Parts: sequence; structure tokens; C-alpha cells
Amino acid sequence: MKRKIARNIAVISAIFIVTFSIMLVTNYFQVKDVNPLQTEVVETLKEINDANANNPALKEQIRQLDLLARRAYFIRMDHLMTGVYLLMGMLILFIITLRYYYAETKHIPDKEIDPIDEWAIKPQARKYIRWGVAGMATLALLFVALSSPYLSSSQQEEEIPQDEMVAYVENIVESGEYIQPEDNTPEAETPAEAIAADMPGETPAEAAPETQPETPRVTHNGFRGNTSNGISAARSIPVTWNLHAGENIAWRTEIPRGGYNSPVIHGNCIYFSGADEQVRELYCYDLHTGKQLWSLAATHIPGSPAQLPKTTEDTGLAASTVVTNGKQVCAIFAIGDLLCADTDGKQLWAKNLGVPDNHYGYASSLLIHGNLLIIQYDNANSPKVLALDIATGAERWSRSRTEKVTWSSPIIAHVNNQSQLVLMGNPAITAYNPSNGEQLWRVECLTGEVGASACSAAGIIYGASEYSKLVAINGTDGSVLWESDEFFPEVASPVATKDHVYIATSYGIVAAFDSQSGEMTTYRELNAEFYSSPMLVEGKIYLFSNDGKMHIFSANGDLPLLSSFETGERTFATPAFTDGKMVVRTEQSIYCVAAN
Amino acid sequence: MLSTLTTAQNRFPKPDFESGYQYPDHYYPVPNETLWTAIDILLLAGMMSVVAWAVLKQRTRKPIIWISILSVAYFGFFRSGCVCSIGAIQNVSLALADPGYVMPVSVLLFFILPILFAFLFGRVFCAGVCPLGALQELVNVKNYRLSKALTTVLGMIPWIYLILAILYAVTRSSFIICRFDPFIGIFRLGGDLSFLIFGVLLLIAAIFTGRPFCRFLCPYGALLSLFSRVSVRKPTLTSHSCINCELCHNACPVDAIMPPYGNQVKESRAEGVRRLIKYFIILPVMIVAGAFLMRAASDELSRGHKDVRLYDRVVEQETNPQDILSIDLEAFYGQGGTIEALTEKVEKIQNDFKQYGTVAGALIGLVIGITLIGLSVKRTRKTYDINEANLCKLCPLLQLLSAE
Repeated sequence: MKRKIARNIAVISAIFIVTFSIMLVTNYFQVKDVNPLQTEVVETLKEINDANANNPALKEQIRQLDLLARRAYFIRMDHLMTGVYLLMGMLILFIITLRYYYAETKHIPDKEIDPIDEWAIKPQARKYIRWGVAGMATLALLFVALSSPYLSSSQQEEEIPQDEMVAYVENIVESGEYIQPEDNTPEAETPAEAIAADMPGETPAEAAPETQPETPRVTHNGFRGNTSNGISAARSIPVTWNLHAGENIAWRTEIPRGGYNSPVIHGNCIYFSGADEQVRELYCYDLHTGKQLWSLAATHIPGSPAQLPKTTEDTGLAASTVVTNGKQVCAIFAIGDLLCADTDGKQLWAKNLGVPDNHYGYASSLLIHGNLLIIQYDNANSPKVLALDIATGAERWSRSRTEKVTWSSPIIAHVNNQSQLVLMGNPAITAYNPSNGEQLWRVECLTGEVGASACSAAGIIYGASEYSKLVAINGTDGSVLWESDEFFPEVASPVATKDHVYIATSYGIVAAFDSQSGEMTTYRELNAEFYSSPMLVEGKIYLFSNDGKMHIFSANGDLPLLSSFETGERTFATPAFTDGKMVVRTEQSIYCVAAN
Repeated sequence: MLSTLTTAQNRFPKPDFESGYQYPDHYYPVPNETLWTAIDILLLAGMMSVVAWAVLKQRTRKPIIWISILSVAYFGFFRSGCVCSIGAIQNVSLALADPGYVMPVSVLLFFILPILFAFLFGRVFCAGVCPLGALQELVNVKNYRLSKALTTVLGMIPWIYLILAILYAVTRSSFIICRFDPFIGIFRLGGDLSFLIFGVLLLIAAIFTGRPFCRFLCPYGALLSLFSRVSVRKPTLTSHSCINCELCHNACPVDAIMPPYGNQVKESRAEGVRRLIKYFIILPVMIVAGAFLMRAASDELSRGHKDVRLYDRVVEQETNPQDILSIDLEAFYGQGGTIEALTEKVEKIQNDFKQYGTVAGALIGLVIGITLIGLSVKRTRKTYDINEANLCKLCPLLQLLSAE
């Protein structure tokens, strides 16, 4: 009888446990994402209150709702814990009754009639282990193979459609300067034959993985890197090279048209632009070979002026650096022509923003943030900053500015979990919400012709301009942390770490300042002129002077000069970096530095 | 009672509007951890002593049941399953690898005492003092025996788990034993849902078979088995001579009784010796292969370290900037972190993983090789005997046999 009662209690408690567990799990998923402080009603009322701050009744209503929401949350939590305690109690009851029920069934184990010899079991166990080890080894090998960079690049290659692959190969072979050490392919050979000749005994399909280099992971999407702060995550960059001797030079290619804009890198492609009085063009070059993959001329753009605006020789028509996100690439020229292409060189959209009234020539570089193309369009007519949908060119937001003509470029600063779009200008450095153009703060601190861009580190924004000052601004509230009037850059933009900010002037001074106090920790006179901006890579600062001399400093307060050497070609552009490679644009050419 | 002013942020922010109400300063009483730690250690030592006395001297199981209940209630629910001897493996490993790591004495004692008792009396800690084992023991109702061949293979898992836990501890990546503890959610009445479900499934399995976690997962059990093999006082099945009645073997829920070899399978001695030689030759190959594989996979394994994962996110953010940053990216940028410094740190971590991963791989190869050799050695046991390395002590037949 007692045994029956125990059995029945066990069955009932089991049913209760299952039902209750389902209810608790359901409840868990229901309340998991509930935030008592962000109820829709309270949030809406708060927005109304923000618009109408002097409404005590509304405030009281929000207070009450806030209290209710908190109370409801904690009551729900209490109920949940009560449920857990009940479940635990029922589990204990279930186990006790079950044990009681089976207690009487326990008996002295029987003697086995035909016991299994342990020796007979061991071969089976050995077999299981062999299977298990083989499975583990296979899995581990698969794991290693899938994560190897070789397979990644092979997979990427497989993703390239066959027709694109042929076009890619054609571009390589048609170009005259592609030289591989073992490459003695006659010009008359077809592309496929050319590759087959390089790899005797292999079919072109088999040879392809060998010829496709690894796609670098680090990108350099715009002027001075991805957020235009002058910092790159690239590694293994050589600290010395010789352009004439070919030491650590992967390739060098003459460029078709000039321009002061800097190259950018995404994947295996380098993008930059060039212009003269005849044509404005966007170029794509192969990172590994230096061959031109395509070019796109900015022609037939509605609204584009027939007569070119006057620009000075040291600015030109293509001073603005292009920008890419790996899907689209956009370029802007001094006549206001803006065009966007896909990575195959097919024009997606183009428009003219109106000829900028700029006495030297428009020079601000483009910036991509999310799916927005951001353009600082400070000119004498209608200074503004605008954001376009990068896919379609449609305007997403536009803000008029009160600044004078500016040549600097926008940057993205990370401040308190938010991105800020920071623009230099005369007279103010201004931060905007990049998503909607809302002004976040504005600090009037600059005068004259503003050419250098801002930079940021650890939530502090640094801006400097010739005949003005170097200023550090707290990105949280726009308060000025410190100012310095020691040295100022004219064209080259500063770069900063959390400890120091570095500037390079057009009269040959390279200086380091303490980021907290603003005190100059050191400066170096280098008898050079700096237009190219310093880039911070692997704890080193790479800086070209206009005469083409490369200066490499260690990024610390003493700014020790690690290396300094002539490259032989005048350089105004800021180099672009990716893992193991640096791409430099000079007056005549573009070349790639990579350890060889 | 010590108290301290809380400077941390409130769990929920205060209401948005000021009503003139003066919020009082928050004082939270700090528990007297020194006292509780002393109680923990005394209880641990006392409970193991009681178990040893009950098993070796009294040959009775009843005190062990009460010890199990006390252990689950105190070490499990009241102390929330922490500190535990199983997790202490990681603290000790880290302290050995990194002289800069200061390990609390209580953690060291939690690690050392069960080992000391195992060396003296066998696995008395597992018998009833470990709250994880005790919980499984208390819910056990029926004992369905698993295939012996299968349990032999599954018995290698604790060793592999132990090696991986040490690897992740010495590289300061994660204390995976604590992180993946299936019973911690039960003891704390809440936690990660997936581990709660895993814990409940293990408990359901424990109803029908003896201690699945202890036998097939517990890394500390693997460690204790080394010492219990050479324990000073070994338990015996019977105080008299074994008459090969087979009752103990059939009743043991955890396969801890080794039967005599019936020699029913006829195999020539030469064949057995050849196989043994083959496995001895394979052993170094397995060690080298394990070392190679783990070294090759070390970069992927290093993603268990939060800095390596952060590095991936920072690179992703730099490549494709997002407006809303995740909390770790916010912390990284907010503290002025630079990718250069992070890269340097990540490279060091990856080097550590290469170095320690190679050793871990070699050890895994060694475990597999030794298991294969162990399965190829033919014994000449004439009677039933306890496998000291296996999970023995709480066996119900202790009571039966003590009545002989």
C-alpha cells in the first residue's frame, strides 16, 4: 500500500515537474529581453517631456509609470524564484518517493550464468578508441585546414565567377610591366597558356590557387585609413626600401594622370584618382602586381561644368582621396563631380554637387561611415556637410555650415560608445552625429586657411592649423582640455595615441605633445617640408617629406628617429597600409613596399 | 560585521527626475569570508575523515549518505558550488605557470586535501564530499550498466578535459571547468539556460546510471585516480577471502570491480606481445601527432581568450565601422586602447597557445597511447578486485559485504 502511494506521488510530482518546467522556460523566454526601464510608453512620454520640459503633471505621470515598471519587474522576478523553489521541492519529493518505491525491489544481485570475460571486451574497447582517435584527428585536421589562410584564399578565388577570372587574367597578361621571376611567357600566348607555362605539368585550373595571392585582411579604405585617424592595423611593414635597387619593392608603376590624392586599399585592390584638363579618372590597380585592373572616367555627369574651375598647381583637380567599402568606390574632383563605381569599375551613379568656390581647389577627402558617403563641402558659396546613400547617391542628410573655405577632411572619432563625425573649419572644429547630421558640439578655435584634418584617440579630438593653435577637445562634451601654440601643421594632419599627439609642419618640424597636459615632450627639426600626413603603424610613425624622404619614428614622447632615407621621388600623398605592404603614390608613380 | 560604502553603479539607474528626495548612502554588509572559508576547510577535512572512517573502518554506507546530503546542502546550495576542488585545478595550474598570480590559501587547501586523502585512503572526496558527485548519487535510483567497452573509451574524456582546462588556465584565457560546470546553475537556482539544461540532463542520466559526470567528465577525478592507485589504505571487497561469487561485480554501478580473467578468449602469447610492441611503437607517434595537431590548431584555440576575440572585433570595427559599439569595443576605445598594443598582446597569447598547446597535444597523445597499452596488457587476476583508479567508495555492496 505504502509502495503504491509512493508510486502515485512520484507520478504526480513528475507530471508537476514537467508542466512547471515548461512554464518556467516559457516565462524565461518571455522576460529575458524585458528591460523595465525602457518601456515603450515611458520612452514616448520622455520624448514628449524633452520637447516640453515645464510640465509637472507629465513628469509625475512618468515617475508613476517608471515606478510601476520597476515594481512589475521585481514582482515578476520574485514569482520566477518562487517557481524555482517549488520546482526544487517537487524534484526532491519525486526522488525520495522514487527511491522509496524502488527500495523494496533491491535485492542481492544474481550470479551471472555466463559471465563475460573481460579480455573479450578489450578488443572492442581498442576498436572504439581507434575510431575515436581517427575521428578526432580528422576533425582536428579539418579544423586546421578550414582556418588556414591558404584555404581562405582558395575559397575566395572559387567565389570569383569564371568570366571575371578570365578578365582578371587578361588584365594581368596584357599589361606590359607584370614581371615574375620565372615568367618567360611569350606575349602571343593566351592568358590560360601563359599561366600554364608558369606551372608546367598543371592545368590552368590547378594552377590558379598557386597564382592567387592571399587577400590581406587589413584595409585602408580612405584618406589616412579607415576612419581617417592616421592609424593602421597593418603588420610586418618594412622599415627600409630602395626604389631604384628594388630592395623591398614589390612593384612600381607609372601613373597615367597626376593628383595629390592618396591611394586606398581594400582586399587585393588599390584605388586612387587622377586628373588633368582632359579627363578625370578613377583607377583600380592590383595590389600584388601593380597592374591597372580598370579605370573609369568621370564623363557625362549631369550638371558638370563645361569650363574647369581654376585651381593652383599644388592642389589640382584631384586632391581629394577616394574612398571604398569593398563594394563601392567613390571619387570626387575639384569641379564638383562625384562618382561611385562597383569594384569591377562599373559606374553605379554620378552627380555634380555644384562647382565649389575654392581659390586653391577643392581638396577634402571622402569618408564612408556605415552605408553613408560623407562629404565635407566647405566652399565660399554654400559650405555644408552632407551624407549620401552610397548605393544610390540619394541624399540622406545635409547640414549647412558657417565655416569659411576649408581643405581638411572629415574623420570619425569614437567617443563613449558612439561615433562622431569631426570636421575642421574656420573658425570651428565641429562634431556631428554621422547618422543624422545632428551637431554634437562646436569649438571655435581656428583661424586662417585650414588644411590639416583632425585626429582622435581615447575620446579626445585633436585639431591644429597654421597660424592658429593645437587644441585638444573632450569628445564627450566639447570642452577644451588644453591648447598649445608651439608648432602647427599646414597640410599634414596630426596623429595621436592615448599618450601623445604628433604633428608635422610644412617647415620641417616634427613634434610630440603629451595628450593629457598638452606639453610638448620633444621636437625634431628635419629641414624638410611635410604635406604627406604621418601614419601610425605597429607603434611607428611613417612620414614622407615632400622631397620623397621617408622618416620613421618610434611613437613615443621622445620621438626617436628609427630610420630616414631618400626614396628618390617627390611624395605628397599619404601612404596606404595593409598587412606586409605599403602603397606609396609619388608625383610620377605608384609603388608597393613589401619585404622581399 | 565589516561594512563598506558601495561605490559601484546602481543595478538600475535612479529615476530621471529629481524630487528633492535625498538618497541615502548605500552600505552593504560584507560577509565574513575568513570565517566561512575556515568553516569550508574544516568541513571538507572533517567530512572526508568521516567517509574514510565509514568505508575503511566501519564498512558502512549510512554516514556517507548523510555526508552527501550535507555536502549538497552546504557546499552546493549554501556556498553556491564555489570554491570547489575541481575548479581549483585551474588556480593551481595558473599559479605554477605565472608566478605573478596570487592563489588564495583556501583554494590551495581545497586542491591539496582531497589529493592527500586519496593518497592515504582512496577517493573519499568523490565518495560523498564532492557536491557534484553527491547530487548525482542522491538522485540515483536504478543502475543500468553501460557497455564496458564504451565506458573505457568515455573514461579518456576526463583526461582530455583536464589537459584542456590546464591549457586555458595557464594561458589566462578562461577557467573552462567553472565556466562549463553543469551543476552550478542548479546550485545557484539560475544561470545560463544551455548549461542548466545540460545539468538537468546529466541528473536525469544519473537517475538511471551511476554518476555519469564523475565517470565521463570530471577532470579532478582523473587527477585523483593517479593518487588512489597508490593509496596507503586500500579498500577491500571483503574482509575474508574472495570466493568469486560475482555479486560485487554485478552490483557495482560504476564498473569499479575488476573480474578475474576467465581466459575464455584464446589468444596466443606471441600475438599479444606483438600487439603490445606495436602500441609501444605507436605511442611516440601519437605524442608527436597530438603535439603537431594542437600546435597547428593553436591560433583557433586561442580564440578562447577574450583579448583575441576583442582583437577580431576591433579589426572588424576598423574595417567596417559601426555606429553602435558592443560593450567590449566601447571599453576598449574608452580606455584609450590602441590596436598596436592589442596586437602585441594577442601575439603573445598566440605564442603561449603554441607553446602550451604543443605540450597539451603531446599529453593527449600520451593518454590515448597509454589507454591502448592498458587495454593490451593481460593480467593474471584470480579474484574480483577493486579498481582503485575507478570511482569506488559509495558502493551499496559495502554494506552487503560487511555483513559477511
